[in-house]
Amino acid sequence: MSDSMLTDAAGRIFADLCDKALLDAAERGEFPAALWRALEGNGFHQLAMPDSGGTLADAFALIGLGGRWGVPVPLAEVLLANRWIGGSDRLATIGQVLDGRIVEAPWGRRADLVLGLDADRSAYVLVARDREAGAPLESGRNMAGEARDALAIPAGAEWVTLTEPAHAYLALARAVAMAGCLGRILDLSLQYANEREQFGRPIARFQAIQHNLAVMAGEVAAAGRAADAAVDALDGDRFELEVAVAKARVGEAAGVVAEIAHQVHGAMGYTHEHQLHHFTRRVWAWRDEYGNETYWQRRLGRHLIRTGADGLWPLLATRG
Amino acid sequence: MRPTVLQFDRITLPEETEALRVEVRQFLQDNAEHLSRPNSDFTTGHDPAFSRKLGQRGWIGMTWPKRYGGGERSFFDRYVVTEELLAAGAPVSAHWIADRQSGNLILSVGSEAQRERYLPPIARGESYFSIGMSEPNSGSDLASVRTRAERVEGGWLINGTKLWSTDAHRNHFMIALVRTEPPSDNRHAGLSQIIIDLREDGAVIRPIRNMAGGEDFNEVVFEDVLVPEDRVVGEPGNGWQQVTGELAYERSGPERFLSAFRVFVELVRVAAERGDPALEAAVGRLAAHVATLRRMSISVAGMLEQGKSPEVEAALVKAVGNDFEKLLPEVARLATDDAIAAMPRLDGFREALADTLLLSPSFTIRGGTREILRGVIARGLGLR
Repeated sequence: MSDSMLTDAAGRIFADLCDKALLDAAERGEFPAALWRALEGNGFHQLAMPDSGGTLADAFALIGLGGRWGVPVPLAEVLLANRWIGGSDRLATIGQVLDGRIVEAPWGRRADLVLGLDADRSAYVLVARDREAGAPLESGRNMAGEARDALAIPAGAEWVTLTEPAHAYLALARAVAMAGCLGRILDLSLQYANEREQFGRPIARFQAIQHNLAVMAGEVAAAGRAADAAVDALDGDRFELEVAVAKARVGEAAGVVAEIAHQVHGAMGYTHEHQLHHFTRRVWAWRDEYGNETYWQRRLGRHLIRTGADGLWPLLATRG
Repeated sequence: MRPTVLQFDRITLPEETEALRVEVRQFLQDNAEHLSRPNSDFTTGHDPAFSRKLGQRGWIGMTWPKRYGGGERSFFDRYVVTEELLAAGAPVSAHWIADRQSGNLILSVGSEAQRERYLPPIARGESYFSIGMSEPNSGSDLASVRTRAERVEGGWLINGTKLWSTDAHRNHFMIALVRTEPPSDNRHAGLSQIIIDLREDGAVIRPIRNMAGGEDFNEVVFEDVLVPEDRVVGEPGNGWQQVTGELAYERSGPERFLSAFRVFVELVRVAAERGDPALEAAVGRLAAHVATLRRMSISVAGMLEQGKSPEVEAALVKAVGNDFEKLLPEVARLATDDAIAAMPRLDGFREALADTLLLSPSFTIRGGTREILRGVIARGLGLR
């Protein structure tokens, strides 16, 4: 599938279904079933599988678009889980194994299959849940109100070794989703600044507002370019370095962009009624998931320091 | 979906640029005697011998037609050469402006005679240009320039003062933005660009000492300076359009985010001496910025290669890049402590840091202030 066919088709689904009402409902705990059916109906949930006709890069493009719309289904987890377990039409998600439980699993309550990654994300345990029987589960949420649930691992569950860099994939998924989401935050802010009038004119006419939005645009552009570059590095031996660049840079942009967006929106953007918070809270949450800026900066930094001062530039001056 | 202004294409540099990169690195290694500066600022190292060596290698005027001494190479080739030179702290100031923008201007709007006369010596690394835009009362508000060129018998008579012209006291020519018609309601009309021979025409050039102790920029005074008819570049009266057309070249290059790079190199040296989490994070943070800015700058090179004039994208690269150039020494400084400051082996770090910090106020002023750039971006976003 070509990049634009994919994003056109998915973009239509998101534009039709992913409105404020849906985001609010999801936050109240209602799984967006119609949206999920539409994605499933197009085969998007299995896009990252080796024989899907799509590529892993397509999957990340879909995740980025999902970030733009704040889609309240666990897109990255569904895509990667299906890739690793060989595909399923049931809802699969991914969490982390901690103290004998799987925690932080997006929509764990609604999932039929839950993968729990071990501490160094080199293996997973697969739990099939019987939702009809009301398998016990502890519901939780991140600061964006996205479901992040915990459940027990049944005795005798087996570990499956991962050959792919699961942590880097998931960190990249958050970086790519953030980059998409930041683009949306910029659009919302531009729109608001052009519509909101004070002192007899749109606030977009004020230089202070213009400059803040210019800063925001710079950060959004940097975030997009950093995320794209890491996706482009998927097949190369620098992949994890580029993920470190992306997660660190996009995370840094996220804080700046969200801060300015709220300042531009004034009190209106601080209300629950306005949609801005659905996006700003997401980037605040996602920048901390799968390694915050400091985590990835240190990983990148350690690699560069080992390479040494004279190797710094050659390491940065890549072709792609 | 994203606003068009934010379209920074994903570009992979062509394979041949990597062979070129290897050549440049070898050249730098072979000419290490030119690499003694503690900073990587593009305005502080004026070294004609080095510029001539670059010219001999064909690394000046790389994108220009061969008949004018150019190399007919891509903007990607040029990008790779310039970033390698800057990262190594090479002294590029002498030929930089001629290569980056004066030559391109002459090539795009100059007469055939001007191209034949001015371009080959630039490409050989022998002829150097300065910018003549700002004046005592015209900085960011460039359209308010008052230097006049009056058509007289035998040429143009110039009166006025240009300011902050980097290397005017060492270079051969200046392209000055002057008023050739009286001011009218359209303040962008009636401006022209004229080539001044800084050594022959009789302009009075006075170096201005900067706060870092350097004497790089100048005041250039014209009192009834007569220049020949054929010095006007492009159409008389079209100066404003030409000047703004230069900006895509002027604003998006690696010199807009690598000015502080030597500090980064030295910081890695410090970190290798004594690893700690703060140093690791600082190094990683700076690397994430450099890697991303490079790619944004290469995206703009790609647009130049396609014949586009991406002024807004270029302004954005410069705005983000200049802010990073100022962030870099701060991040480096705060990641180190007194114990590191006392290690004599790390003198290089302290020297680069102090030198770069003293130069840093210029980063967000030259070539369009941060505030002007934000205005350009805001216009691109449809806000004004």
